[in-house]
Amino acid sequence: MRSRALDKDAGSAPQGRAGRPALALKEESSLRRRLRARDEQALVELIDAASPWLLGLTQGMLRDPDEAEEVVLEVFQVAWERVGSLGDEDEALLPWLFRIARNRAIDRLRRRSRLRLKHARAGAFGAIAPADAGATGFDESARPGWHVHESVHAALAALPDEQRQAVQLAYFQGLTHAEIARQLGIPMGTVKTRLRLAFDKLRVALAPIKDWVL
Amino acid sequence: MSAHDWYVENRSAFVSRSLERDEERTFIEHLMRCDECAREVARLEGDLAWLPMGVAPVAPKPGFARRIAGEILDRPRGWRRRLPALAAAAAVLLALGLGFHNGRERRELSRLLATRESRLTALEDTLSVLRQARQVVQTNVSMPGGGGGGAHQGGLLIFQDGSSHRWTVIVHGLPPAPDGNVYQFWFITRTGMVRSVEVNADSARPAFMTVPMPSPAIPVMGAALTMESMVNRSGEPAGVELAHVMF
Repeated sequence: MRSRALDKDAGSAPQGRAGRPALALKEESSLRRRLRARDEQALVELIDAASPWLLGLTQGMLRDPDEAEEVVLEVFQVAWERVGSLGDEDEALLPWLFRIARNRAIDRLRRRSRLRLKHARAGAFGAIAPADAGATGFDESARPGWHVHESVHAALAALPDEQRQAVQLAYFQGLTHAEIARQLGIPMGTVKTRLRLAFDKLRVALAPIKDWVL
Repeated sequence: MSAHDWYVENRSAFVSRSLERDEERTFIEHLMRCDECAREVARLEGDLAWLPMGVAPVAPKPGFARRIAGEILDRPRGWRRRLPALAAAAAVLLALGLGFHNGRERRELSRLLATRESRLTALEDTLSVLRQARQVVQTNVSMPGGGGGGAHQGGLLIFQDGSSHRWTVIVHGLPPAPDGNVYQFWFITRTGMVRSVEVNADSARPAFMTVPMPSPAIPVMGAALTMESMVNRSGEPAGVELAHVMF
């Protein structure tokens, strides 16, 4: 398996390509209702659908498969506790889980005392294949939601190198402006500008997939 | 540059979490009192919601979903010790499993055991709410226009467990909701109605739900059951009220 994360050389996919959403709107709505009613089978279904994506994100950020699994467990624990307060009008399930996972992973990264290691790993993100893929024969392109991945990947690949690098370090590695500036040897104002420009472009590029569900 | 300009300039930095810890704390405090920034941050988060999917998925280890679900559902471990029947059932199933030489049958048996364990854990969890309930409230549920022009008469039973901040709600005697409608359970709070779960009623058996209460900061004064159109997803009831109880 290869890691396509933020790797521009991995090639770009046709943006906005029609594909199979991980769950149709009706299915997500049903899953949400069942989760709120404490249906444990619904929890298993949610874990089944979301965990490959959450593991991809957390392994990419933490570079530690065991720690990534711990974070994913925490994510589902929080989700199981809080899903009752998630209304039908609120964000889709998977982005909600992503937000929890990214925040938890960033908190862990910041707790790590070995800042130098964090920086070294940040530079390698996207180039290292995820460790221990687990099952053999895992066809990532067959995963529900793969078309969303392709669209996001294309949007990231379309950014100028310096902006994509800033997004990589800030959004996917949790480095602060000051840390990025130190690592790249550029002024902090330049970091802020690159990030702002990158996010403006990403907002436009990701608009067609904004309302997809899990 | 005004003080507010700093927040405007750093909205995307806040969303990407690239502010320093002190700055982040200051920004969070600002969001609590600035509707404009709160709205813009929410919009930005929504626009970038799928950005984490730029990272390719990773295959979980075999059995990962079941293990994670088991760890989440297995919290009230103390109960398990008090239920020797579970251990006995597990032992019987395991013993039976050992008797099978066919790998497929063993896997099927393991799956069955895991399913039963998770069901039993959920049951223990529900029972813990019933046993620890500090208050039990019961009221009738009337649904006009039942078959033959009569009214269906059902019941609503609420067990309140303040320690886990959850309720177990039982609704019985109601027919399935008519097409396009749902039974909706609500909390009545000091600040208004708070939507809870939809109730899958079936007159043949009671609907049984364990629901988290709203935030402890919002005192709950009662509960209501309404019949809502499926298209009503607002935070306010708009349908017929079937039951209403105040504490």
